[in-house]
Amino acid sequence: MSKYVPTIGIECHVQLCTKTKLFSEVDNDARGKEPNSCVSPVDYALPGMLPRLNGEAIRFAILAGRAMNCEINAFSRFDRKHYFYPDSPKGYQITQFYQPIIGAGYVELPSGTKIRIEHAHLEGDAGKLTHFDGYSLVDLNRVDTPLIEIVSMPDIHSAKDAHDYCKELWRLMCYAGVTYGDLYNGNMRFDVNTSLAPEGSKKLGTRTEVKNLNSFRSVERAVEYEIKRQTKVLDSGEKVIQQTLGWSDATGKTTPQRSKEVAADYRYMPEPDLPPIHLSTEFIETESAKLPLMPSDYREKFKSTIAEDIMEVLLDYPALMQKLGEIDEKYVKNVSNLFASVLLAEEKSAEYLNGLPSAKDLNELAEMNEKKELSSTATKEVFLRLFDPQMKGHGAKNIAKELGLIQENDLGALEKIVETVLAKPETKKAQEDFKAGQEKVLGFLVGQVMKESHGKANPSVVSEILRHKLTK
Amino acid sequence: MKTANKKVTAERLVRDALEKAEFFRDYNIFTFLNKTGAIQKAREIDAKIAKGEKVGRLAGVPYALKDNFLSPEGETTASAHILEGFTSPVTATVVEKLEAEGAIMIGRTNLDAFAHGSSTENSYYGPTLNAFDQERVAGGSSGGSAVAVALDIVEFATGTDTGGSIRQPASFNGVYGLKPTYGCNSRYGVVAMASSTDCIGFFTKTTEDMDLLMSVASGQDPKDMTTLPDFYNDTKPSKPRGRIGVIKDFDNELVNKEIRSALKKKCEALEKKGYEIVELEMPALKYALAAYYIIVPAEVASNLSRYDGVRYALRSDKSDDLDSLYENTRNEGFMPENKRRIMIGNFVLSSGFYDAYFLKAAKARTLIVKEYEKAFEKVDYILTPVSPSPAFKLGEKVNDPIAMYLEDVMSVSLNLAGVPGLAVPVGKTKSGLPIGLQLVGPRRSDKNLIKFAKELE
Amino acid sequence: MNIKREDILHLASLSNLSLSDEEVKSLGKDLQDIIKYISQLDELDTKDVEPTYQVFEMKNVWRDDEIVDQGVSREELLALSAESRDNQIEVPKVL
Repeated sequence: MSKYVPTIGIECHVQLCTKTKLFSEVDNDARGKEPNSCVSPVDYALPGMLPRLNGEAIRFAILAGRAMNCEINAFSRFDRKHYFYPDSPKGYQITQFYQPIIGAGYVELPSGTKIRIEHAHLEGDAGKLTHFDGYSLVDLNRVDTPLIEIVSMPDIHSAKDAHDYCKELWRLMCYAGVTYGDLYNGNMRFDVNTSLAPEGSKKLGTRTEVKNLNSFRSVERAVEYEIKRQTKVLDSGEKVIQQTLGWSDATGKTTPQRSKEVAADYRYMPEPDLPPIHLSTEFIETESAKLPLMPSDYREKFKSTIAEDIMEVLLDYPALMQKLGEIDEKYVKNVSNLFASVLLAEEKSAEYLNGLPSAKDLNELAEMNEKKELSSTATKEVFLRLFDPQMKGHGAKNIAKELGLIQENDLGALEKIVETVLAKPETKKAQEDFKAGQEKVLGFLVGQVMKESHGKANPSVVSEILRHKLTK
Repeated sequence: MKTANKKVTAERLVRDALEKAEFFRDYNIFTFLNKTGAIQKAREIDAKIAKGEKVGRLAGVPYALKDNFLSPEGETTASAHILEGFTSPVTATVVEKLEAEGAIMIGRTNLDAFAHGSSTENSYYGPTLNAFDQERVAGGSSGGSAVAVALDIVEFATGTDTGGSIRQPASFNGVYGLKPTYGCNSRYGVVAMASSTDCIGFFTKTTEDMDLLMSVASGQDPKDMTTLPDFYNDTKPSKPRGRIGVIKDFDNELVNKEIRSALKKKCEALEKKGYEIVELEMPALKYALAAYYIIVPAEVASNLSRYDGVRYALRSDKSDDLDSLYENTRNEGFMPENKRRIMIGNFVLSSGFYDAYFLKAAKARTLIVKEYEKAFEKVDYILTPVSPSPAFKLGEKVNDPIAMYLEDVMSVSLNLAGVPGLAVPVGKTKSGLPIGLQLVGPRRSDKNLIKFAKELE
Repeated sequence: MNIKREDILHLASLSNLSLSDEEVKSLGKDLQDIIKYISQLDELDTKDVEPTYQVFEMKNVWRDDEIVDQGVSREELLALSAESRDNQIEVPKVL
């Protein structure tokens, strides 16, 4: 039944990986650090403390904006958004409500669908509250970690597209190098608005908002759930209530969140403690030029070399794509297969991603494989040795030699070995059977030759020679 | 300024100041006297002098610090109950600069809580009395600082001026008080009132002292992104065109007769010296007070959001849950005037009223800025009264907010425009109350403005 | 505009103040007067006038992205709080 058309809008918060916070010179990476150990008097909001804007956040915003094909606004400034909660020491969040730094743009999904971006802005993150029986504890480490909030237009119409949009955003931000992209630690969080409207209707239905999702899968599941739930509500003739919902991965359900009866009034006000931002075209262009290749660039670049399904797997790893960009064009397919089927299958793949072999080693390896100097098994082995701290410096070719994995391709030498094997009495029977038309014994003979060569012979070459000798 | 030397030690200067502070206890000038700390610092300076080491330009000079400047010496309370018990781990930039030159803080001075007021009656610690008449107000909000200098307890005191809080108490007590160009002195470590109009300045007995203090205090501070690169010390002496403006609208019956005639006399004296007096029409100034009492409460409400009982100072005993912690701490901790301003601020920012009030006031501000720019195309400086009347009686206006706000009617437009203003003592009323005039200059003219005040002596 | 009791209560809630009945009354009167006073701005023609939020002619003031020791320890900050526990600030339960 598809009598309703779902419309989904997504707000995404991306934590930027600047060294210091948005408004103080304090370590911005609090992962694994003790509570309140990354807090300055400014973050603690002592009286008389003033925000000190981090210029790197401005540069990151330009990169993030450009990654989403967005306009960068020449003029922007900060505003205060007021609310009382212990996670907000100043009693307001510094954000960009009236004049954000990033204007309209779009994100193209792998399917080709374009999702428009309404705008994106810089703001400071909030602290963390942990609730206990009868009291709560406040950790301000995360206060004023720089965030970019990306607001999409309501262009998404399925749970799958919602998933793909979030994932593509994640890729874009990781490729742009503006975030660690660590979803587990909340580096990216999604607020998803879902509404249903009767097919053909021009008006959007009443929306619900599911807040603080931190995986693509939960975005997809939450949207699926909301579509089903709202369909039921509408089918039974009732109205969808506009509300904020929470999502539980465990139950697979959304539930209404406790909220004050009165709609929040944030009393936005221009931030008087920070001068406005006025970026010159030149500055914007210089910073934009630092944007590395994006997923869509790689898709285009490798569309005739890398299969689409492998491409989508590899695109999740900016480091792999960047490495492929350095590889000799003729070996890209070969190396991409090693990445997809060997590296990513390894238990330690995450660790390996941080120390990829040089392009030179990978080129050498692919060359040996394509020249049939290395069997596919041997190629895999040498590839993995390139991550071995004991061996990685030796170079692919030397590793292959050291391990004695180079295949014998010298026709003269191989012919001699074949002749030796054919001269052995225990192969006589098989030779006769082959000549009598029994193809399957060829394998036995190849095996004998391989044994004689101590595994160094190239089996396909050996079988050619055997066939030639036994049929003449 | 009398600095310490081998004969007159810093300890002597500091002990004298502390003695006088004790003597004038009744005036309720200080919220904290820095006895131990000040004497210890004085001895350090004396030791340096004895060894012939270099000491700063303010070596051993005792000064009074308005209690809204953060420093680890004594509690910084801004004369508000909600900050009681707060000892700052950080030091305001201006305090650091003064102390680096050897100045010694002998006490923290009383103010209207969070600098909200024009009489120092809104202090949690009670009003400061006028230096010339104990039945009258010191003015405010920097009342304690003004009286400390007027009674000669210290040679100078710090102040903050958001709408007149330095100039008005200076004029009520017969001393110089400067509100510098916005962004001239760092606001870092000063309890914020309204960030877009707050200025840090001084009270002194001479223009020379004011000049010295400004040359110490001014300059860009990486901890305050709204500070200007030092222009004060780079100012070239200007050649005045010899034209002084007076504002036509400020000359009306609402202004005290004796103040009007003092202004007239000064103008005549200037004319005798060859200056031309130009009457200025500045119609937008009529709306300055209304715009001010929209913009400032909005920023006040915002800046006071951090006083919530969670991270420092007062936390109400009646705080069984988070909501009651917030509501009771803030209700117990703020003075009635603080609450008025917070409520007005939240009103003008709230949804549905923002455009009609806050945005409208921000536009009015543009007109006021432009009006000053236009005026300074015609004249070098403008001379006006500081306030409509000399020091008024204690209790006279404290329960009438509008009457109190009207005290600021001639001072607030400078803060909205960001231009400097110097309160200059020019004489006394028949009953012996000081009269002050306000000398206004274009942005960044502070140094020449102070110099020009000599012409009014 | 007429300020009603419920307007005062709404503003008090936005301001996080638990006003006594007496305060609601007196603030109601004061706010009425003040709002009347500031409403005289209505007379002023501000058509085509851009707003001014800051009187500071600088722009693009920002700092380098380098960690700098702030000279104030976590312990000093937490000691300012009325209650703390396990290196965190303690607040009563959220209702």
